[in-house]
Amino acid sequence: MSRLPPGTPPDPREEFALNLTRRRFFGLGARTLGAGLGALALQSLGGSALARGLGSEPAFVPGPHFRPKAKRVIYMHMEGAPSQLDLFDYKPGLRARFNQDLPDSIRKGQRLTTMTSGQTRFPVAPSIFKFTRYANNQDGVWLSELIPHTGSLAHEIAFIHSMHTEAINHEPGITFFQTGNQQPGRPAFGAWTSYGLGSANANLPTFVVMITQGLGNMQALSARFWGSGFLPSEHQGCKLRAGDDPVLYLSDPAGVAREDRRRMLDLVGELNQNEFERSLDPEVRTRIAQYEMAYRMQMSVPELTDFSDEDEETLALYGPDVHKPGSFAANCLLARRLSERGVRFIQLYMRGWDQHGNLPGELKAQTNAVDQPQAGLLKDLRRRGLLDETLVLWAGEFGRTAYSQGELTTENYGRDHHPRCFTVWLAGGGIAPGVTYGKTDDFSYNIVENPVEVHDLHATMQHCLGFDHERLSFRHQGRDFRLTDVFGKVLKPLL
Amino acid sequence: MRQQSVRLRIWTTAILALAPPTAIVLTPAPAREPPRLDFNRDVLPLLADRCFKCHGPDGAARKADLRLDDAVAAVAERDGVRAIVPGDPAASELVARIRHADPEERMPPADSGRKPLTEQEKDVLERWIAEGAEYAPHWAFVPPRAPEPPAVRDAAWCRDPLDRFVLAELERAGLAPSPEAERATWLRRAALDLTGLAPTPEETAAFLADASPEAWERAVDRLLASPRFGERIASEWMDLARYADTYGYQADVHRDVWRWRDWVIAAFNENLPYSDFLTWQLAGDLLPGATREQRLATAFNRLHRMTNEGGSTEEEFRVEYVADRVHTFGTAVLGLTLECARCHDHKFDPLPTRDYYRLFAFFDDVDESGLYSHFTAAVPTPTLPLPTAEQDSALAAAEVAVTAAERVAADRAAAARGEFAAWRAAGGRIAAPAPIAHYPLDAIGEGGTLANLADTARPGAVLDQPAATEGVASGALLFSGDDNATFPGVAEFAHWDPFAFALWVRAPDRRERAVVLKRSRAWTDAGSQGYEILIEGGRLSWSLIHFWPGNAASVRTREELPIGRWVEIAVTHDGSARAAGLRIFFDGEPAEVEIVRDRLWKPITGGDPGPLTLAERFRDAGFAGGAVDELRVFDRCLAPLEIAELHAPGAVAAAGEETAFAAWLAAHDVPHRAAREGLREARRARAEILAGVEEIMAMEEMPAPRAAQVLARGRYDNPDPAQPVTAGTPGALPPLPEGAPANRLGLARWLTDPGHPLAARVVVNRLWAQMLGRGLVATRENFGLQGEAPTHPELLDALAIDFARGGWNVKSLLRRIALSATYRQSSHAREDLARADPDDRLLGRFPPRRLSAEALRDQALYSGGLLVEKIGGPSVRPWQPPGLWSIGWGGEYSPDAGEGRWRRSLYTYWRRTVPPPNMILFDAAKRDVCVARRQETNTPLQALALLNDPQLVECARALAVRAAREAGPDPDARLVRAFALVCARAPTATEIAALRAVFDAQLAEFHAEPARADALLAVGIAAVPPDADRADLAACAVACSVLFAADAALTVR
Repeated sequence: MSRLPPGTPPDPREEFALNLTRRRFFGLGARTLGAGLGALALQSLGGSALARGLGSEPAFVPGPHFRPKAKRVIYMHMEGAPSQLDLFDYKPGLRARFNQDLPDSIRKGQRLTTMTSGQTRFPVAPSIFKFTRYANNQDGVWLSELIPHTGSLAHEIAFIHSMHTEAINHEPGITFFQTGNQQPGRPAFGAWTSYGLGSANANLPTFVVMITQGLGNMQALSARFWGSGFLPSEHQGCKLRAGDDPVLYLSDPAGVAREDRRRMLDLVGELNQNEFERSLDPEVRTRIAQYEMAYRMQMSVPELTDFSDEDEETLALYGPDVHKPGSFAANCLLARRLSERGVRFIQLYMRGWDQHGNLPGELKAQTNAVDQPQAGLLKDLRRRGLLDETLVLWAGEFGRTAYSQGELTTENYGRDHHPRCFTVWLAGGGIAPGVTYGKTDDFSYNIVENPVEVHDLHATMQHCLGFDHERLSFRHQGRDFRLTDVFGKVLKPLL
Repeated sequence: MRQQSVRLRIWTTAILALAPPTAIVLTPAPAREPPRLDFNRDVLPLLADRCFKCHGPDGAARKADLRLDDAVAAVAERDGVRAIVPGDPAASELVARIRHADPEERMPPADSGRKPLTEQEKDVLERWIAEGAEYAPHWAFVPPRAPEPPAVRDAAWCRDPLDRFVLAELERAGLAPSPEAERATWLRRAALDLTGLAPTPEETAAFLADASPEAWERAVDRLLASPRFGERIASEWMDLARYADTYGYQADVHRDVWRWRDWVIAAFNENLPYSDFLTWQLAGDLLPGATREQRLATAFNRLHRMTNEGGSTEEEFRVEYVADRVHTFGTAVLGLTLECARCHDHKFDPLPTRDYYRLFAFFDDVDESGLYSHFTAAVPTPTLPLPTAEQDSALAAAEVAVTAAERVAADRAAAARGEFAAWRAAGGRIAAPAPIAHYPLDAIGEGGTLANLADTARPGAVLDQPAATEGVASGALLFSGDDNATFPGVAEFAHWDPFAFALWVRAPDRRERAVVLKRSRAWTDAGSQGYEILIEGGRLSWSLIHFWPGNAASVRTREELPIGRWVEIAVTHDGSARAAGLRIFFDGEPAEVEIVRDRLWKPITGGDPGPLTLAERFRDAGFAGGAVDELRVFDRCLAPLEIAELHAPGAVAAAGEETAFAAWLAAHDVPHRAAREGLREARRARAEILAGVEEIMAMEEMPAPRAAQVLARGRYDNPDPAQPVTAGTPGALPPLPEGAPANRLGLARWLTDPGHPLAARVVVNRLWAQMLGRGLVATRENFGLQGEAPTHPELLDALAIDFARGGWNVKSLLRRIALSATYRQSSHAREDLARADPDDRLLGRFPPRRLSAEALRDQALYSGGLLVEKIGGPSVRPWQPPGLWSIGWGGEYSPDAGEGRWRRSLYTYWRRTVPPPNMILFDAAKRDVCVARRQETNTPLQALALLNDPQLVECARALAVRAAREAGPDPDARLVRAFALVCARAPTATEIAALRAVFDAQLAEFHAEPARADALLAVGIAAVPPDADRADLAACAVACSVLFAADAALTVR
């Protein structure tokens, strides 16, 4: 168990080296058995060589390859694919082309979803939203009126306008972003991070997932998106639920008090110790340790989700929704609290960005729910000195088309899926602040400069975490698998 | 959570510094002359792991044109250098390069991602070259040989020939086997391994009391004869078959495939030979005279995930499904990682991409869609109908009625000749038929209405205002492809109704695809359910569809639809729902058609098809630029002459006798009309029975195979026409047997040939692992070059040969293992084993392991007396934490009210995107893809579930009730009873003292706060006896809860 005070997670690299050394010299996990358990664990073992070798060896942790900038990731996934045209990728020239057909020279016969491939016309739909130029560390960035809070932090953020993906439908698209492959089965990015860095807080999971409740609930999610694939299942994302039982089975059964639980654990420990003495099976010792850890988790999670120690100023940063459990705002604040506690990968899902129709109205509601909280999170991390060591990613699974799906009017339109270019943004954790990267054509249809693949994004983020993405691998079915498959390059200009 | 780790190997730490790599651990003491290296065991794993990535079978990845997996290529001279000179390490470039002083030159390169070779490994390679560098094919690709059981020193220890193989290895390593486990321990072990449930205290007592030497045999035979056996073994196969109750992917809708599970359970209980078990699942439909059971078994190939996400490309996912079948076949049956060869030649195994697509071709010829239906509940084709016995007999009767009604109509036709002749002689005329609806489409009326001349009460309507154009007579509608015209309240025909349409169309140009007329909700999103007239590849098609493509009747003209001018199209359906009953006419003349599909037997009216519509459909290509005029609807099938008359009055004059007779029957003969009405009723009655018949996805070959070819980079849209393939087996494995057909049946015959190198080994290995925790080949899923070498290769071969020659008898093999001396060993750790063999590869003791997720829950239910033992049936919904399904579509999970909560876990409803958490936490496979080996983890979340999962709390309080009922009021007696029920042995004094301490302390708490006792006793729905002392019962329940969390309950020892 970590003996470091909460709130000061160590540099993963030093922590890793330290731990490795301890393991090597003492032959047993120095961080294995909890206080209060040590005595129980080591009693009655005698002095045999067998007993001396006993202890829970931590699972193998590859550790970083070089000094990391980021110790953790906060990944805000905007499920459904937000429109880059209405938020980030400013195309004023489209106004003059309202309702004109998208030129064939732009579309080039590329694949469309079968939702619009039967459509006869592809009328250009300029964004109806105003864009403002925000100062950054270059010559400024144009952002939509829908995200003023985020815009005010343009100097902290790196926008990638030239993101592209292979997938054209949600499930394969999200799966690709989460796992580096369109087909399900590979470990999630968060699971790779958990595997690569190990834990900095034994009382909490390394990879935590939160899903915004309320808005956009029509979009389906799958637990696979935070699965561990072929990595050991301890690396799978742990979903933090809004409400009384934030972690599955965390609450004691009705009628059982915390003191009862302590007593039960002590006696399970006794039974298990008894079994160990019969069998000398090391798994029994691991089990004893796991029960203790579960108990500590029962103590620490409620403290995590209790906002009563937050001051008004902090709460105000996240906006009024912060008091609604399960809201994006509340989850953003939880993300900061998890960051402080050393959780490695914090994933926030926000659904409802799939605007095939009624885009203007729906997009207002969506951005209204996320803009202030996400900006508040960045500010809060910054003022607590956490932003530089926390890598933040904001991304959907693809972009949306410049042409309207369905009817186009001056007030209303829809947009279909568009994998060929879209915008994601990064902040903190070793990313160059206040820059933009990549360019699209006048229609935000094709990339004209510095295309970025999903694997490149993953490689760059792994770089920030101290990993050579080609070396962080796991052997499965006789092959060394990695998050970036056989692809990916680190985007140096973003570092 | 670093410490919350996977199975921990504790001794390795201490030994790490001293121990050489694993391969060397297993070789005998170094003092003796080392035996000749075994290529497969000692050399090939090194070459494969460190060299083949760049110098292996994948031609595209090969560096320096050097190939080390091929004996001829490896010794060949290239640019004056030979990588390997047999017998001469000094002359071998390979040796120079692995020992090169310059790290830049040293192999494998630092940036290759491969681990550097250790000194010992370099020595092995050098010695192998010195010994002559002999290659041998990878062991798993060579048929098993029948080895003699080896000589052993302690022959008396052995109970089965298999023990000699195990003992020989132990003796070679200077180790002795462990003493026999206590009898009760063995019985619990065997019962859990063979039935998934522990023995009752009475069963244990009876076994302990049986002093005869046959006691063990009798016990095993009883376990194997129990129907629980089938349930236990089936749950292992369900992981491999990726069984689930939903389709997977985004919306993840429910599907009924549980009847396949019932078949699997029955197959194991009846001890169906494993060769048949495989053959039926792979190719039951192709067996001569295939039975329903044999066809049902083929659902195995359809259990992969399927999508219905809007906007998906159908072919992309269809290819994914075929690939999944190939991968499942590879992992579950061949033990090979075929998926690696999908995009490129396999990097380690001799499996070129071409071979992958040869296997792909076996599984490709299925008339299926890449998308299942979003708007209807149609079962994706092909399907196997599963009528009940009542439906079967009702159908037989309905069929007789249809035949009789057909005869009535035919008889009337025959009898009417005279009347027809008289009518004709009297100058009778065929008039143009009267439509039930007639939309001239001349103009769009007030409020977007379209006039109906035949029935003014039912006008049509337009969407988005189609343009007006000049029509045949007056005006017509010109469509954009996005606008349409709809006609509510008419033409709501079923597939037993005779009906017809006539309309004028003008197509602007040749269309690849355009919807002309339809009544159906959508294209792929609704499986096309309904009827439709389409332009496809310029030609006109006319179809009635339940689910496209496999449950539909469809014809298409051979000629293309004339373009640029008005054409009058007519289509008819005679009520038969057969392709032969569908006709198309151009300008009054019958068009020659080809049959596209002829297999409609389910309704065409489901999924809210909306009104009859022209020129547009949801997510389909509309009739852009197309003009339509004069739409007429008929509620009977028109005769050709009537259609000719419709097109150009006066046609009758030139009509021949038969043509005129058919038209007269259709239009004028009252008795024939009555006969047709009788036939319609008979068909409706039959169709309504069929509509209620359940179906399951199954395999069925298409009449003509699809053209298979290599898909470059594995992409559906990237077929390589230069590389056509036909179905065939991989080149590295034997060819199909002489005379075997090149289809799935031939593949099954090939597989179950006793000389097949993989099939028997793979299954024997898996059954071994089921009993002993770990396979003889630890990588159950991979017998290829990157898999682990067998710990006991000869034992594996001996078992495989016995199995294949002895009728693929699963029960017999498991019986042998359960009774063997190897299996009977104690599991207690030993210091000498811990040092020499920490992973227990040599089986010097029984390897303990945690109960599976299923067994853990089942045993809790069973010991608490709650388990409802009912075999088979639809999946059930036990309690699970509320709110989990809210991340997906389709509503919240609601637990069953009654026995569904307490059935065995293999029946628990499996939703793929949100699988049951209490199964997943305990390492159950996720059922997305084929999994041959579960992970083994030990985490704090498991600890939380064991103590807090309300399902287990409910079991604990049921156990407390049961213990009181069976052992009386004395707390110790109750706890002893509970312990025996859960752990299948008597507790020690310490154990009872610990449980008693919990009980006493808790009793005091509950006496002080009775409300807490009540709260605990209210968890779940199991009944509490009304007269119970509630504090006492609740305290005992807490002690039982502790017991469930104890290692003695959780571990098979």
